[in-house]
Amino acid sequence: MKSATEASSQNLKPGAKQEGGYADRVHILYAKTLDFVSHAVIVAMVVGYVLYLTGLLPLSIPIDAIAGNWHLSAADMQATLHHPSGWSFVSAPGGVLHGDVISYMSVILLALATLFCLAVAVVVYLREKRPLFFTIALGQFLVLVIAASGIMAR
Amino acid sequence: MKHGISIVHRMLPALIVFGMVALLLTPVDALCAAAPASAGAPWWIWVVGLFVFSFILGIVAVLGGVGGGVLFVPIVSSFFPFHLDYVRGAGLLVALAGSLAAGPPLLRKGLADLKLGLPMALIGSVSSIAGAIVGLLLPAQQIQLMLGIVVLGVTVIMITSGRSGYPAVRKQDSLSRALQLSGVYYEEFSKHDVSWQAHRAPVSMLLFLVIGFIGGMFGLGAGFANVPVYNLLMGVPLKVSVATSGLVLSINGSAAAWVYIFNGAVLPLITVPSIAGMMIGSKIGAKLLPKVNTKTIRMTVIAILALSGIRSLLKGFGI
Repeated sequence: MKSATEASSQNLKPGAKQEGGYADRVHILYAKTLDFVSHAVIVAMVVGYVLYLTGLLPLSIPIDAIAGNWHLSAADMQATLHHPSGWSFVSAPGGVLHGDVISYMSVILLALATLFCLAVAVVVYLREKRPLFFTIALGQFLVLVIAASGIMAR
Repeated sequence: MKHGISIVHRMLPALIVFGMVALLLTPVDALCAAAPASAGAPWWIWVVGLFVFSFILGIVAVLGGVGGGVLFVPIVSSFFPFHLDYVRGAGLLVALAGSLAAGPPLLRKGLADLKLGLPMALIGSVSSIAGAIVGLLLPAQQIQLMLGIVVLGVTVIMITSGRSGYPAVRKQDSLSRALQLSGVYYEEFSKHDVSWQAHRAPVSMLLFLVIGFIGGMFGLGAGFANVPVYNLLMGVPLKVSVATSGLVLSINGSAAAWVYIFNGAVLPLITVPSIAGMMIGSKIGAKLLPKVNTKTIRMTVIAILALSGIRSLLKGFGI
C-alpha cells in the first residue's frame, strides 16, 4: 500500500472549472431524484409521527402496549402484538388509516428511497448504451427489490 | 453579546462531550437500562430522551468526524430500555437517512461517484443482507458481546489509520481499468481540477464484502471502514472517498434495513425521533465545525467509542 501521506501534485491540474461541470447526466438525475425523495421522506416522517403521537387518527396498537414490550426481541413482540412488519400494513384488517401505520409507512418510504434513485440510474445507463454500468446498476436494483420483497427475511 | 455567543460556541461541544463521558461512566443500574421494561418511567420520557440523545450524538458525530450510526447503536443499546433488535434497526435507518440527506450536493459536485460506488455496494449490499439475517438469528447477548469487540476494533482503526488527501496511483489493475474507476472533481480549496484513478479493486471488493456483513449484523453505518478502504487502499482522494462512502452506505443500509423491517425490528416510536434528533444535531454540528477544535473533539469521541465498546462488552458478558 502506498504511504498514506504520499500526495501527488501530478493529480492537480491547473485550469479551474465552474462547479457543476463535473457530474455527468446519471449523477445529476440520481441527485435530483434523491433530493425529491429525501424531502418527501422528511415531510412524511413529520406528518406520520405527529399523527401517531397526537392521536388525531386511531392507533392499531396503543403506544403504551409498544412501550410495555419494547424490551422484548422483535420476534417475541411480533408474537405478542402483531405490529406492522414488512408490507403487512397493505392487507391490515383495519386499513392504513391509523396513526402508527402511517408513521410506519414513512419509514418504509425511507427504505425505498435508494430503490427509486437506482431505477433512474438503470434507465439512464440503458439509454446511454453503457452496458457495463447498466448491468451493475440493474444487479443492484434487483438486490434491493429482492430485499424489499421479504424473500430473504427469515 | 457577540462575546457571549462565542463563549457558548466554545463551551458547547466541551459540555456535550463532558456530559456523554459522564453518562458512559455512570453505572448501568442507575440508568435502569438493564430493567426489563420501561422501569416505571412513562414511555414519553424515553422517547424525548432518545430524541435529545440523538441530537447530541448528531453534533458530536459531525465534530468528531464519525458517522452517527457507529456511536448510536452501542450507546443507545447500553442506556435505553429498548431491545437490541430495535436499536440496530433504528441505527441502520439513522445512517441511511443521514447519507441520503447529504447525497445530492455531493453527487452534483462529482464527489460521490456512481462508477466507484455501485460495484462495491453491489457486493456490500448482498453481504449486509446476510449480516442482518445472521444478526437477528443470534441471541442478543452474543450480539452485544460481538458489538463490543467490533466497536473497540473501530476505535483502533480510528486511532491508527491515517488519511491521504490526494493519494498517488501510478498504475491501475485490470479490474479497476475495466470498471473505469477514475474521475475528476473540482477542489474548491486549491481552485484546481483533481483527477484521480483507483487501484486494488479485487482486494477492496473482498473488504467491502466483510464491511457490508458487519454493518448489517450490528446496524452500523460503515463509513468508518469504507473511507479507509477507498482512500488508503484504493488510492481515491479523501473527499471522493467520504462522499462515495455515503453512497455505498445508503445502498447497503437500505438492503439490510429491509431484513429488520420484515422481522418487525423497526418501531416508528423509536426510529423517527432517532432520525430527527440525529439529522438536526448533524446540521448544528456542521455549523459549529469551523469554530471548534475538532482534534480535541475527535480524540474525545474516540474515547467515548472505546468506553461504549467496553460497556457493550461487559453487557455481553452479563456484567
